[in-house]
Amino acid sequence: MTVITITGGKGGTGKTVIAINLAFALSNLTGQRILLIDLDVENPCTYTLLGVKPKTVEEIGVFKPSINADLCDKCGKCVESCPAHALFLIPNRGLMLIETLCEGCAMCMYVCPRGAINRDRTIVGWIKEAKSKDIDLVLGELKPGSRKHHEVMEATLNHARKFWKRYKIVVIDTPPGTGKGIYMALEAADLVVAVTEPTSLGLLDFKRLHSLIKSMGKPEVVVVNKYGLPGGIYESMQQFLEEEGLKWFKLHYDRQMLSAYIKGIPVLHCYPNAQSSLDVKLIAREVVSGLKK
Amino acid sequence: MEIVVASGKGGTGKTFVSSNLCLYLERVLHEKVVAVDADVEAPDLLMALGSSIKEVDREEFYGSYIPVIDRSKCLKCGKCVKACEFNAIEMGPEGPVIDRSRCEGLGTCAVVCPVKAIRLQEDKTGDIYASETSYGIIVVTGDLELGKGNSGRLVYRLKRKAYEMGSKIGAKFRVVDAAPGIGCPVVSSIAGSDILIMVTEPTPQSLKGCLRLMKVAESLEVEQVAIVNMYNLNPGFVEKIKRILKVEILGYIPYDVNVIKAYTLTRPLLEYSPNSKASKALINCFNRLKEGWIE
Repeated sequence: MTVITITGGKGGTGKTVIAINLAFALSNLTGQRILLIDLDVENPCTYTLLGVKPKTVEEIGVFKPSINADLCDKCGKCVESCPAHALFLIPNRGLMLIETLCEGCAMCMYVCPRGAINRDRTIVGWIKEAKSKDIDLVLGELKPGSRKHHEVMEATLNHARKFWKRYKIVVIDTPPGTGKGIYMALEAADLVVAVTEPTSLGLLDFKRLHSLIKSMGKPEVVVVNKYGLPGGIYESMQQFLEEEGLKWFKLHYDRQMLSAYIKGIPVLHCYPNAQSSLDVKLIAREVVSGLKK
Repeated sequence: MEIVVASGKGGTGKTFVSSNLCLYLERVLHEKVVAVDADVEAPDLLMALGSSIKEVDREEFYGSYIPVIDRSKCLKCGKCVKACEFNAIEMGPEGPVIDRSRCEGLGTCAVVCPVKAIRLQEDKTGDIYASETSYGIIVVTGDLELGKGNSGRLVYRLKRKAYEMGSKIGAKFRVVDAAPGIGCPVVSSIAGSDILIMVTEPTPQSLKGCLRLMKVAESLEVEQVAIVNMYNLNPGFVEKIKRILKVEILGYIPYDVNVIKAYTLTRPLLEYSPNSKASKALINCFNRLKEGWIE
């Protein structure tokens, strides 16, 4: 089994579009179903592009204190010790929890001398699954307003880990960024496909991401998406990629790709002979031949 | 006044809108502004505003704590292992071992330890710095160390820094350029702001992101307005956005090659190409903002 993580530093460089098109192309080449894991829990889009309605298979919950007002003697120990400053003693009303501030560490429950705080659970997101042509999808979705995006990402990845050995190829789609969540998705990878675009900000964020991938010692290939975008930077991008000795591919910016994106359909399905589709197929072939080695 | 620019989906043009809004406030309204780059995992705003000509402030950010175990005191009782809600402690042959990548640094382990063998030590997770750009705008940026968490706490610190610097120079406005998504740093970016500008593009993916973002803003009681960027890539979708979002739309910005050229030169579009279609549309959006929300 091989895990391919698609990531990109900057937002909107084309991670999800590439993850889906690549998954289809890989399925075509290997004749196997591909497991696609959508870890962009803050805005999962894979299902829209796959045209499927995922079903919830698991709710993700974290600790939340439940206050027993009858036992509470308002000593204030929990208020004092709460590292998130989520508990307040309000005169005449007693102990109050501001749920959006609570980090779920359960400290309050342990410091309470009267056992007035018990374990409760709050839902922070959901794990969902769907099946489409050639692709089995697992996705995580963060509940809007919750801060626990890392927890939802991790729970989603762990859920998929239980059965991913059944697949020959697993593709992970990630959110933008270079933080803890990305680290987790990179750690699981056998191969990283870094997606960038030929703009100054695209290059700046890619450099940041690349130094993270490099520091983790993960094999990396780069896709320069939107290649041919008018006004783009090509020389400095190419120079950086060559200096770093990175294998890279062009994914051309064409009308068909744009039109497919707007319709929410993989370009590979609606315009199989467009330059962008040919580019995706080439990347898939190179990935597969790389795996054989 | 604090204006936050965000989008549920990445790459819709947050930094484009924020950088030009800063320039509009400075050059058109002649108001001082401090900008905050709250996308600490991929900070770009400084570059979009012409890069730093002078660093005016820098401090280290200790966003978290790490537990340190005194092995001579530890009884290996396992209470810390059991109490950790984040499964960040495992019992090894030498005693408990902390998994740094999972630890949130909140210190429940130290509280439950019966012999006080665990103490918390401050952990540096990034840098905060303020720079002046060639357009005279101060940008407060956070640089989160690669692969680290706690970005929500860093964003709060950035906003506080911007408030302090703004008070010093008499800036009436703070513009916060948020990270993509709706996670912890975005919640911190929106919390306490006066108005949220959502930047969307005419695609179902972006609209869904926008709806998620609205739920976050509603829970924080922050008013929302929207800008539709690159609207002419899919003009048929614009009506749907209007109908579904049900918020004030400040305006519609066309796809314009000058936007990318301005980016390449790291100059805000309003300054690089003031007569371009996208510039005129931006000015219309900001005038609308001024009429309705800026007294």
